[in-house]
Amino acid sequence: MKKQVGLYYSLPQIMWLLVFFAAPLGIIIAYSFLKKGLYGGVEPQFSLEAYTAMANPNILIVTWRTLKMSVIATILTLLIALPCGYSIARSQNQAMRLFLVIVPFWTNFLVRIYAWIAILGNEGFLNDIIRALHLRSESVQFLYNQTAVILVLVYMYLPYAILPLFSTIDKFDFTLLDAARDLGASRFQSYVRILLPNIKSGLVTAGLFTFVPIFGAYAVPLLIGGKDSYMLGNIIADQLTKTRNWPLASSISMTVTILTTGLVFLIAMRKPREQKQVFDADPGLITPVASGGR
Amino acid sequence: MERLRKGLLDFLGFALVSILLVLSGCGGGSKSKTLYIFNWTYYTPDSVIQKFEKEYGVKVVYDTFASNEEMFAKLKAGGSNYDITFPSGDYVSIMIKEGMLEKIDKSKLKNYGNIDPAVLALCDFDPGNQYSIPYYMGAAGVAVNKTKVQNYDKSWSIFARKDLANRMIMLDDMREVMGDALKYLGYSVNTVDQKQIDEARDLINNVWKPNLLKFDAEAFAKSFAAGEVWVAQGYAESIFAEVDKANWKDVDFFIPKEGGPSYLDSMVILKGSKNKDLALKFIDFIHRPEIYAEFCDYFGFPSTANVPARALKKGESWYRPEDLLNCELKKDVGADLEKYNAAWQAIRVGK
Repeated sequence: MKKQVGLYYSLPQIMWLLVFFAAPLGIIIAYSFLKKGLYGGVEPQFSLEAYTAMANPNILIVTWRTLKMSVIATILTLLIALPCGYSIARSQNQAMRLFLVIVPFWTNFLVRIYAWIAILGNEGFLNDIIRALHLRSESVQFLYNQTAVILVLVYMYLPYAILPLFSTIDKFDFTLLDAARDLGASRFQSYVRILLPNIKSGLVTAGLFTFVPIFGAYAVPLLIGGKDSYMLGNIIADQLTKTRNWPLASSISMTVTILTTGLVFLIAMRKPREQKQVFDADPGLITPVASGGR
Repeated sequence: MERLRKGLLDFLGFALVSILLVLSGCGGGSKSKTLYIFNWTYYTPDSVIQKFEKEYGVKVVYDTFASNEEMFAKLKAGGSNYDITFPSGDYVSIMIKEGMLEKIDKSKLKNYGNIDPAVLALCDFDPGNQYSIPYYMGAAGVAVNKTKVQNYDKSWSIFARKDLANRMIMLDDMREVMGDALKYLGYSVNTVDQKQIDEARDLINNVWKPNLLKFDAEAFAKSFAAGEVWVAQGYAESIFAEVDKANWKDVDFFIPKEGGPSYLDSMVILKGSKNKDLALKFIDFIHRPEIYAEFCDYFGFPSTANVPARALKKGESWYRPEDLLNCELKKDVGADLEKYNAAWQAIRVGK
């Protein structure tokens, strides 16, 4: 009897997952195996065309570029987030500092992208300062290249890395660091050999939280990127809105989803061998589907 | 009409306004009729809509889209509440084929005679205008910041100038940019000849692209207004909406002498419209000379479709109707669109 009641309790959750996760995913899968309609949409006819079309060298170039940029952006994000999370965890007023990390979320992300354009532009604030200091007479071209895209991506996803890292480091027993120092480790050694292995799960979570959405980035490369910054998210959007090839958009989305889910599984499978449970305890670690919207 | 994209931000603002409009429409007790219009972002001035509402005692709900593809996809997906929409020529023919349009009773349009016969003659996407009434014909052109660039040829070849490298921008729009290159090479903007398409692709890839800052259909006007770029291919109304009025004198907008792809947007009544009569009245209202002149003045458009409105226009236009002479209407190329897709993808993906 009890078990049946439990089912009712979880019904809202199951419905939620079915309607907003399984059904859209099912539609994407189905569309990727259909023939494309001449004017958008699909014809009810089985076809593998969308998958063979992916062998196109252009798409492979973009996939490789997206992978490269996502890895670089993720590593940079972690390198910045690690000391941030550490300092928040050791700080006297954690609440205030966490609050400051969350504040940017209150501003729409598009507004924040345009803010970066205002800062980095040829006629932007940064160039104004450079000219005022007479460092350069001509303005420096900061925007519209891969570096700018990576910079803004790091900015965008930094909080997603700081928060899980903070929650892991916060649980770390800092007296272990003192013990390591007592036993002759240098300050640096104590961090690398004692702190890092103990917060591995937080690093993994932070890495996934940044890598997965960055891999599907759309708006940042569109607005901040230049001729060399066309990413997978942009290809998917263009297939839908410009070239009327819905099956191809679906098949690329599927591939992205499978790649990222595979990555999550691969990492999650390794978990049981480790002692720390933080990764498992993190709620809601569901791979964002495909482009992730940003 | 991609040219009316004014950045995602503006779209969000407009979405908010639309929501408010819908809400106010609901709150009004709604005894009066409501006309549902699905239109390009910034394509009919509010003042015109308000005059129509006042004169006929109705409410107008004005929702917006940013591209033909978006409009078409939404209507196909069952957004069937709309009465009127504004597709470009290629999409008029597609929507006729798909049976999405209602025939228009032209005998009820008193102002049909105001429409330029030369424009009507171009409507081969709907012979005899059985389903569509021209709204506006125009073309993207090139805006130049005259304080930075003094000597230039009014030609697409401006994009080949290495001295302006990284200070020029073109639309992220396949048919527009490919069409410019095809016209420059002396071909049709609707060609399906693979060799000609390849030639255009190589011209863009090897000669124009190295000098471009980027391809951008979202924020090109903002970049131009901010002085980020000095030469921008795009739509006049977007450019001048962003540039400060005080600086308009420093901007030259021209349609290159070789011509380019032009567009002809039409008003159509959707199948299943519950307000066919009101929709007809709206179409007729638009072509009243004084209303059409008001619409054109608002955007700085020349009065391309309506003849008597030309004499009533008070403001200046960014280009003249004659400038469109060498331009060619974009048409639906059907399955051959794949050829354009492949060429454009090669351009966009880059190294």
